[in-house]
Amino acid sequence: MGMSSSESATALKRTVIIAIFAAVAVVLSIVEAQIPLAGIGLMPGAKLGFANIMILTCIYFLRGRDVFVLVILKTLLTAFLLGTLSSLLFSLFGSMFSFIAMFALVKLGRKKFSVIGISIVGGLAHNTGQLLAASFVFNSTSIFYYLPVLLITGIVTGIAVGFAVRYVVDSLSRISLFEEFLNGPGH
Amino acid sequence: MKRADVLLISIVLIAALAFLVPRWLSNDADKGGPGKELKANITVDGKLFKTVTLTKEEQTIEVRTERGYNILKVHDYGIEMFDADCPDQVCLGFGFITLPKQTIVCLPHRVLVEIASGAGEDEVDGYVQ
Repeated sequence: MGMSSSESATALKRTVIIAIFAAVAVVLSIVEAQIPLAGIGLMPGAKLGFANIMILTCIYFLRGRDVFVLVILKTLLTAFLLGTLSSLLFSLFGSMFSFIAMFALVKLGRKKFSVIGISIVGGLAHNTGQLLAASFVFNSTSIFYYLPVLLITGIVTGIAVGFAVRYVVDSLSRISLFEEFLNGPGH
Repeated sequence: MKRADVLLISIVLIAALAFLVPRWLSNDADKGGPGKELKANITVDGKLFKTVTLTKEEQTIEVRTERGYNILKVHDYGIEMFDADCPDQVCLGFGFITLPKQTIVCLPHRVLVEIASGAGEDEVDGYVQ
């Protein structure tokens, strides 16, 4: 049971980082919700995926179970603020899908893929996960009509998110709070 | 960006275009119009609620469930979601649809509107293009 003081300091730092990241992710989701995407003729329900910036950054610094906590926190808080019960289930499905895909890719293929490729995979997995959930609910595959359009928008937003993550990881690496996580799972 | 990134982007783009291009090309052939009105199936919670013929004349369809209401409008051989009391209003963003296999979805109310394929019969698994 007994944790040495350096171990408990690390655990505290992890908790603080998760809390900050969750807060920023929720704020990003709220900002994103103010942008009327349907107004510019995109697929309704398509999102920019700003919150994915924090989740992907977290994958680069912390352990898988920490990111898992972040994903759950972010999804619950966003749903309480913006969504409904049914949208909570859908975003939970999409977020978990996206998290698992990105985490697996960081673990297995980070020598081949840059952060941009990983963020694209995350975005595509999120879209596919939500469409899968919807097709289960409606018991119909016709919803996949929108998959091709979502794939293309997913690539564009994935590239944007990837560039953002690159800057965020670079900047955070210079902060002392993140020093001991620099050689974490993502590096 | 690394080579695998570029490869990933190209594969996904090609896959997406492979689905989209035939759709653009075949648009005119199976479009509805005078004399060959298409049908739209409205399902609620996976069960068929109503099948409507997409006429030029305006029709209003109300879908009222315990979850809330959706009002659909048929006109000019197409259909659109006109009003709904769902919290996210995503369904209103689908716009006016006129082509087979296009759908309007209202997730909170579990309402799905799908235009039946050109032949008019119910398709079980209509995603072969």
